[in-house]
Amino acid sequence: MRLLMYLPEHYEFFCPVKINSGNRALEQIPCELDALNARKPLVIAGKDAGERGLVDVIIDAFKDSGIAIGIFDGVPAAPDLKLIKELFNIYRDRGYDAVIAVGGGPVADTAKMLNIAVSGKPEDIEGCAGENLIKRPLRPLIIVPTLAGTGYEVSKYAFFDGRSYESHFLMPHLAVIDPRMTIPEDAVTTAATSLAALSHAVEAYTGSGKNPLADAYAYTAIQLIMEHLVNVIRNQRDRNGSLSLANAHAMAACAFSNVAPGVAHKLGKVMGDVCHLHPGLCMGMLLPHILEKQMSEGGYHIPDLLLPLAGFEAYASTAENLRARKAVDILHDLLKDLSAVSGGVIPRLWKDAQVSEDTLQDIAQKAVGVGASFDMDGCVKIVRQAREGR
Amino acid sequence: MKNFREVAAGKKLLKKDYVAIMMWFMGKAIQAAAAVDRAAKKEFVDMPDNFTFALSVMPNGPHMIVGKDQRGFVRYRGWDPEGKRIDLKMKIKNIEAAMLIFTFQESTALATARDRLIVDGEVAYACAVVRILDIVEVYLLPKIIAKLAVKRYPGWSFRRKYLGRVLVYVRTIFGF
Repeated sequence: MRLLMYLPEHYEFFCPVKINSGNRALEQIPCELDALNARKPLVIAGKDAGERGLVDVIIDAFKDSGIAIGIFDGVPAAPDLKLIKELFNIYRDRGYDAVIAVGGGPVADTAKMLNIAVSGKPEDIEGCAGENLIKRPLRPLIIVPTLAGTGYEVSKYAFFDGRSYESHFLMPHLAVIDPRMTIPEDAVTTAATSLAALSHAVEAYTGSGKNPLADAYAYTAIQLIMEHLVNVIRNQRDRNGSLSLANAHAMAACAFSNVAPGVAHKLGKVMGDVCHLHPGLCMGMLLPHILEKQMSEGGYHIPDLLLPLAGFEAYASTAENLRARKAVDILHDLLKDLSAVSGGVIPRLWKDAQVSEDTLQDIAQKAVGVGASFDMDGCVKIVRQAREGR
Repeated sequence: MKNFREVAAGKKLLKKDYVAIMMWFMGKAIQAAAAVDRAAKKEFVDMPDNFTFALSVMPNGPHMIVGKDQRGFVRYRGWDPEGKRIDLKMKIKNIEAAMLIFTFQESTALATARDRLIVDGEVAYACAVVRILDIVEVYLLPKIIAKLAVKRYPGWSFRRKYLGRVLVYVRTIFGF
């Protein structure tokens, strides 16, 4: 049997994120703040977090800690620099010394931008856009993920006001994953965010940047998602399942921060933008087709993917030359299962999402433009397969 | 600014009071068990004279302080650490973690493994304190609850378990 552990000739891995997960994890935040030398945090959240009672859970977690907290629960879907400047003034004038972001997407991006501003000045934000342009560590940042986040909030990336940011200094010091915060909002969002995390983990596990430490995160993330995603969609009160998925999202983001973004990520983002679909759903629909294409081009690590996807027994009982095929089939089956248990609400194929064939060329062109590793024909073929099925 | 507010830290008085009562009773029971039970006594014999340890909830208590005097007797030294020399501090990170321990949802050993405690002092003595707490819990609690609270439920003789239990309760209640 071929040796599974792969050690590249050279690799780099950096993950400064402490993960604090489980029952009553939120109550650990005051102690963790103390370890970060912070005494007065500013909590920022979206409007929905307040409406769902998540902010109240945070307030309750700080009871008996002796720590007063500032709360801003009005982060919009598309935050801008004006908001950052207002939050900067509050942070500075009221003497806050840490930021806690509740949720993913725009909230986490706002927290990361605010942290750049308060670690220097608000004018630094625009100059930090791009790759590795943040030159020094930032102030304490804690992320409290919900299942509405793909794990991107824990990663080294941020996207704000039309600009992309990439730096390890953007990764939070701490991610606190508490089951009270990971209750699914709805089946489609949960499936979309988990499929995005699965795509990130799979691409880290099979891609050219693969390394043993990224593997550890990616392997666990894939296993957790495969074990729990369908169950959580079937029964959204599955507390352990939801917590496992949120853990998987964070781990996938740690792996994703240490490898180059793969084709599923790039193509899925473009497809999401063009078709107004959740990019995670697009990534999930594209992933098996991308792996199939990589398989035909000799994708060396795809057979190993069967192990986290299906477990030891299935891996050992499958002939070596059939493992890659089986891994891809399992991903196809996952999409079928998700569609079935959600009563068709979660689309299995792109055409199920009512998107026309006309956008196909447009997507492929844009994907090639953002550096997807396939050529135009390859992208068109994959997107068509994702639309029509095999 | 709209949607902004500052919230002062509230209190969890009921939980704090419950943990304080449990710690007070536990502290007295440790004193009693050290006089009654051979294994508990042995753990204290291995500690230096005048050794004092505290089990506290961060950030502001409650606390349980237990120490050994110069003659080797174990004494519950109250709930106020102010002015006392403490050799070993075992700090539970927050009141909710303390509730998990004192409502026996998590054993002390499991809570330590799950990073709910910080130990400031010799780890070997901290392990001894965890073993003493386990012994005391076996005496104080019925088997069905004690099984949740201790790392491994011991197979003690009838005499040790039931006679010991009576003696520990009597000594705890009457404070000798």
